[in-house]
Amino acid sequence: MIAIDIPADLNAEDETGFVWTFLDEAPDPAAIRPGELVIAGSELTPAVCEVVDLVEKPVGTVVHLRVLPGSISQYRRLLDRIGA
Amino acid sequence: MSASSGEPGVARTDGREELRERVRSDEVAPDDARVVLRGGPDTLSLLRSHARRVNRLFVLDGDEVWAISVLVALDEVGARSADSLLRSKLRSYDVVYRSTVSQLLTAGFSLLPTFTRPHYSVVLPELSATPALLEALGALVENPYALPQGG
Repeated sequence: MIAIDIPADLNAEDETGFVWTFLDEAPDPAAIRPGELVIAGSELTPAVCEVVDLVEKPVGTVVHLRVLPGSISQYRRLLDRIGA
Repeated sequence: MSASSGEPGVARTDGREELRERVRSDEVAPDDARVVLRGGPDTLSLLRSHARRVNRLFVLDGDEVWAISVLVALDEVGARSADSLLRSKLRSYDVVYRSTVSQLLTAGFSLLPTFTRPHYSVVLPELSATPALLEALGALVENPYALPQGG
């Protein structure tokens, strides 16, 4: 089972065109920083995403995510290939 | 139940934003036969979580709102065709729900053209409507353009 850095509905885009979710849903919110690569979505639908920005709102901090090309398996194979 | 002070037009005090302001007011209602796509799979629990997230951030006309996101294939060809959406925005999904505008409307849900085309919000009458929503989202079908997962 893949650990999710931040739960999100990867279908849910706002006016920015990016996926949005709430920072406080992350098991470790400190790991969710602009520019970082994270696994977002759900255990059924995980994807590698870039954290675009964090936007403070009265109801909580919204995280914008860019879904990156490539599956998790492809990233894993890449890392295996280069010995990282 | 109103999320505001209860008086129409009175500013809310709970910090939520008005989803109506994100509705594309110039969008023509899509034909009933238009294909509706959503990356999956979902569970009832996931659908509730997604709808609650919308409820946490938004109200609709000052009232409580629960909704999830879908894409409507607004064109037969081009960037907003079903084929193109499966290749682009939905490519991270091995499987997608495939329904039609008619199926969702008939099941009692409303479709709001929110944010940027071809994004729509499927509005639930109540959070307890998630089982009916999961059924109305249609068959879970393979995305022929999904990124390779194996290996």
